[in-house]
This record gives sequence, structure tokens and C-alpha cells, in this order.
Amino acid sequence: MSTFDKVKKTVLYVLLILLAVVCMVPFLLTLVNATRSGNEIVTSFTLIPSTHLKENWETVFQFFNLFKGMWNSIKVAVPATLLTAYFSAMTAYGLAMYKFRGNKVLFMGIVIFMMIPGQLSLIGFYNLCTKLHLVNSYLPLIIPAIAAPGTVFFLRQYILSVLPPSLIEAARIDGASEIYSFHRIVLPIMSPGIATMSIMAFIGNWNNYLLPMIILNKNEKFTLPVMMATLKASTDIQRNQGAIYLAVAISIIPILIVFCFCSKYIISSISAGSVKE
Amino acid sequence: MNWKKAVSVLLISAMTLSMAACGNSGTNTGATSGGGNDSAVDSTEGGSAAASGEKLVVWTLSNDLIDFGERFQEQTGVQVETVVIEPANYPTKVQTALLGGETEPDIIVGEPKMLEDFYDAGFFEDLNQAPYNAQDYADQIVDYVWEVGQDSEGIQRAISYQITPAGIYYRRDIAKEVFGTDDPDEIGQLFKDYPTILQTAQTLKDAGYRIFSSDAEMNVFSGDSAWVVDGVLNVDQARYDYMDLCVDLYQGDLTAYASQWSTPWYQAMAGEVPILTADIQSSVDDSVNVWDATEFAEATEGMEKTTVFAFGLPAWGVLTMRDNVGETSGLWGVCAGPAYGFDGGTYIGISSQSERKDVAWEFVKFCTLNEDTADWWIEFSQGDTVSLKSALEKHKDDENQIYGGQKLYEFWLEQAEGIDTSKVTRYDQAIGDAWGNAISAVKTGEKTKEEAVNEFYDVIESTYPDITVNRE
Repeated sequence: MSTFDKVKKTVLYVLLILLAVVCMVPFLLTLVNATRSGNEIVTSFTLIPSTHLKENWETVFQFFNLFKGMWNSIKVAVPATLLTAYFSAMTAYGLAMYKFRGNKVLFMGIVIFMMIPGQLSLIGFYNLCTKLHLVNSYLPLIIPAIAAPGTVFFLRQYILSVLPPSLIEAARIDGASEIYSFHRIVLPIMSPGIATMSIMAFIGNWNNYLLPMIILNKNEKFTLPVMMATLKASTDIQRNQGAIYLAVAISIIPILIVFCFCSKYIISSISAGSVKE
Repeated sequence: MNWKKAVSVLLISAMTLSMAACGNSGTNTGATSGGGNDSAVDSTEGGSAAASGEKLVVWTLSNDLIDFGERFQEQTGVQVETVVIEPANYPTKVQTALLGGETEPDIIVGEPKMLEDFYDAGFFEDLNQAPYNAQDYADQIVDYVWEVGQDSEGIQRAISYQITPAGIYYRRDIAKEVFGTDDPDEIGQLFKDYPTILQTAQTLKDAGYRIFSSDAEMNVFSGDSAWVVDGVLNVDQARYDYMDLCVDLYQGDLTAYASQWSTPWYQAMAGEVPILTADIQSSVDDSVNVWDATEFAEATEGMEKTTVFAFGLPAWGVLTMRDNVGETSGLWGVCAGPAYGFDGGTYIGISSQSERKDVAWEFVKFCTLNEDTADWWIEFSQGDTVSLKSALEKHKDDENQIYGGQKLYEFWLEQAEGIDTSKVTRYDQAIGDAWGNAISAVKTGEKTKEEAVNEFYDVIESTYPDITVNRE
């Protein structure tokens, strides 16, 4: 039995290590390629870092200020993520816990809107932004984040599974107002779900390319993905290969930070229960 | 208790962050106005026009115009703001913005494959009307560039500062050894048509060399007529001939079996490369990793090595070769291909919704019709080929040392004069790619010619329902 366990464990570990390697290699490659020149990148492949980090750094900063782009991206991604998380949780809670006429219809509506690709309304959206004088502003990138059908859908299912109605009833009996019980009871219980969706939302907003590219017309307002794309517009694409890798390598740092922070949060909260049956 | 804390921390951070966000937008306006001040300072240094506060916004897809913009700002004092957008998404950006009524860009650009759509949508200002009267400048620019800049009714909409005719880049030392001459005219004869190319390829193979690194080198020269004529898909005989050439080169073992723009393809510019077998290149057998230099060298150690004789690239290939030739610098030459062809080029025009069209026209003239700018660009870009005839004339004796001191500008001008622009359509990229896929399928034996061509028709029919496909 114990040998069987060992074998099982070994197989599992080997598989997991393999999976980890598969996941890590692209990251590693990005980091290594960030130190290589464009010529080296197109003519060979290796995991040994080269010596062109400084050149690549200079190329990147000759085109734009990467940190400015990062700051711009933070200005968009952080508020958008918080808005998505808070309002989606509230909507999901409302849809899951209150019984009112049209609840089902509303929910169906949300599910249907989930399936409409945003690109369809691009020209109309731009037109709207021109009329509202919101071109070159971050508001059109942040405010629409309030309505996130996918997140609402996910959180609604999540609430149904983790939040027993009796808990809210108990709070009501104790005299808590609805908004109070949402903030003090529902949000904490939902936080693992919210954290998961926040990671998704943050990554989505951080990497969002199409909308910022359309809405922002000023170099100094560009978010990181839009800035990095301009490296590909160079007449000398090959020479910029290393610089592109460097920019990508730097740009994934915030995502890693957010992920580390949020995943810790998920794990710590999964074990926390609310109601003892 | 813990949760309360956590939640309150979350909420407070949410509040502070959202406030910070508001604050940011505040500081941001500060920063922008600060930027404005900076540029105001710049332009005061620059010259007299600063007082009038003239400004120009350029939306482009290549970095070239940043340099043009800076030079324009230096010389005229007009503050130029150049926004670079990645080529793949440039049409989306311009279409969305201009259809959305955006007046900000004064200058917009396009590559030949996008231009027709832009013309039809009316994005470009009519340059033939007063006060531009572009037709007066027609004879100063290389003809084909001038024609590509015209819409279907012959109205001038855009002008390019560069020409991009295609040529064949060949190794002079090998030419001397095998053919006894390295004269571009005589070597050009070896590439004059497809049967001759096959013969040349065989001669080179017998001498231990390979004619091309990939079999797609003649792509820039292929095709006698447009892909689409009056809404009907047109696959002329030359396309089939090109397909046969690719298949013969591939199956006759006449190339080094690299894919264009892949690692071994670049390596071939610098000298000796192993001859990949068809098996190595195909994705079915991945026993050898062509992307890993060390492993690649080991795996191909016992294999026959060869040196590649020629590459087929447009005029901007001068720069690509420059960066990759390594020790073979100076051993190259450029000669004419089996036909005339061109690829790429950035065409500059005025946005029809611009509010500063006068300055914009000055900028267009500055970039394309100014000999001084052309001189500067030739030097600054280290070998790009301009479209201004007088500048090409002036530089026709310039010798490029990478190409054995060949006088390239004269050569490119000759090549450009033969280009037939009626071949350009908005469908070129997509249809060309589909045809390329069909050729790959045939040469590797995956499909018969008939199957591949039929599939090509299917692809075109489903991609462009408005094109009539007459199957043969």
C-alpha cells in the first residue's frame, strides 16, 4: 500500500512539476529574451541570458516612458477593478437573495448581454465619447466597468452556493439594515469569489488593448499595452525584439503582485466558514 | 472581528484609491498643461511660429514620421504631435475615430493595402483641389508612388516619401565563382523568368550552393494582373506559374528549406547554413528544434552545409540585410527580378476632417516634395529609398559598401519605373496569404494541386462574399 502511495505520489509530483515547467518556461523566456539583442532573438534560441539588457532598456525608453505607461494603466485598472468588484457583488447579491418581479428576466438579460462582444459597438461608443468630450479621458475606460455581466453571473452562482438565506434573516432580526448586512456580512463571505473575479478583472483591464487604443489619442495618456504595441510599429522591427520582450517582462510585474496578493487572500478565506449547520 | 477589519480596510482602500484616482486626473491635467508649457518653450526656441501656437497632430503606423515630425518642428516651429499606432490595428483606430467624427488627426497615413478602403471612406482630403493643387507636383515623384496615392477616380489623396520596388539580393563572390561574373545586369538575366530561375537553381546546386533560402523569395515579383478585377476573382497564369516554381524549387531540393522570416532564413544572410530537409521543416516531425541554435547545430552536424545565393526583397530589404549580413558585408549585390514588383510603403495624406489643413499640407510637402528632407532622410535612415526624383538623381552615384559599392538609388529608380500599380487591390494581403497556403499544401504533397486550388476558392468565397469566384 505504501509503495503504491509512493508511486502515486511520484507520478503526481512528476506531472505537477512538468505542468509547472510548462507554465514557467514562457515567463523565463521572456525574461531571458529581455536581455538579448533583436539579432540574437531572431537567429537563435537559448535560456542563457545575454548582455543587451541596457541597450534594450534604452530602446524602450527612447520610445516612451514605460513607468508613465504603467502609472496610466494603474490609474485605469485599479479603479475599474474596484468598481467591478463592488457593484458586481451588489448586483449579484440582489439577484440571488431578493425575490421581486422581473428578477429572472433581468438575470436572463444579463446572461444574454454577456454574449455580445464589445467590439461591435466600437464606432458608436467612440461617437458617444466625442459628444460627451470623453475622448482622451480615462473615464470611458473606468465607468463601464461597473457593468460586468460575466462577474455578476459568476458571483450570483457563488452567493447561491455559499450564503445561506438564514444568515441574512438573522441579521434582519437583529435589526441590521439591508445595506449594513450587505457590507458587514455578505461581502466578507463572498470575498473569495470577489477576489477571484477581481484578479480576472484586473488582468483584463491591465491587458486591455482595443478600447484604450481607440479612446486615447495622446502619447502621454497611452496605457501600457498601447505603448508597447508602438514598438511593433518601428521600421526596424527586428532591432526592437529585445525591447519588446523587456517591456513585456516589466509589464507583467504588477499582475504578478496582484495575483500573489489576491491568491493568498483566496486561500486564507476558503477555510473560513460562516454557518455551522 | 477579523472580517470587519478586513472589510473596513478594503472599503477604506477602495475609497482612498478612488479618491486618488480623481486626484490623479487632477494632477494629470496639470501634467498635460505642464507638457504644453514645455512644448511652448521648445517652439519658442524653435522659431517664430510659436507665437501663433500652430500645432499638428500626426497619426502614423511607422516610427519614421516621428523623425520627420521633429525635423519639421525644428524648421518651422509648428508643434508636431506624432502618435504611433501599431500597423495591425491602425485601420481600426483610424476608421473608428474618423467615422466617430474625430477632428484631431491632421495627418493620417496608410500602406497600399489599406489605402483603397481609406479612399472609399473619404478619410483623405482631395489634394488636387486648391489650395493644394497636388497635380502640379506630379512629375517630381516616382510615377508608381504617385499612382498608388490616387483613388479610383484618379484624385490625388496621399503621397509617399519612399519607394519600395523589389529586387534580388545576391552574393557577388558566388556569382563570380559559378557564373564567372558579378555584374548585376548579367546576374539579372539568370532570374529573367521562372524556367531560367530553375536552371540557375540547378547550376548552383551542382556547384554546392543553393539559390534561395526559402522557396517564397519570388513572391514579391509574382502575378501579372490584379487579384480582383471588377469584383471577380482573377487567378492569372502567372500565379499558377509561380505556384509551379515554388513546388519545383521545393520538390527539386533546390532551396535550403527555410521559411521566410524564420531563424535559419536570417542565418543564411550571414553565410553557411545546413540544408534542412523537408522533414525537419515540417511540423509533423519535430525531432529537431529549428529554433534552438545549439541543438540545431548538433542535430544538423552531419548534414550537408551550403551557402545561399540570393534573397528576393523590396528596397527596404537593404536595411534588413544590413543588420544581418555579418561577415558577408560587401559581398552582396542587387539585381532585377523576373518581373517588377513592390511591397509596402507609407503614404501620407491629410485627414478630411482636419481643422488645420494648411499646416498639414505644408507637412505633406515637407515629407515628400522637399529635396532637403529627402537628403537628410537618405542619410538618417542609412539607406532607405526616397520617392523624390531629384533626390534619387542627386544620390545616384552614392555607393553602398554592403553591396560591394553598388549604386543602389539608380537601380531602385529603374525598378520603380516598371511597376504597374493597377495590380494593387485591397484584397492583396488576404488573397495572397490564402494562395501562399495553397502553395504550401501542394509543395509538401499534402494536397493535389486541384484540391488546394479548390480550397483556395472556398476560402476566398467565405472571406469575401462580394467577390465572384469563377472556378475553372
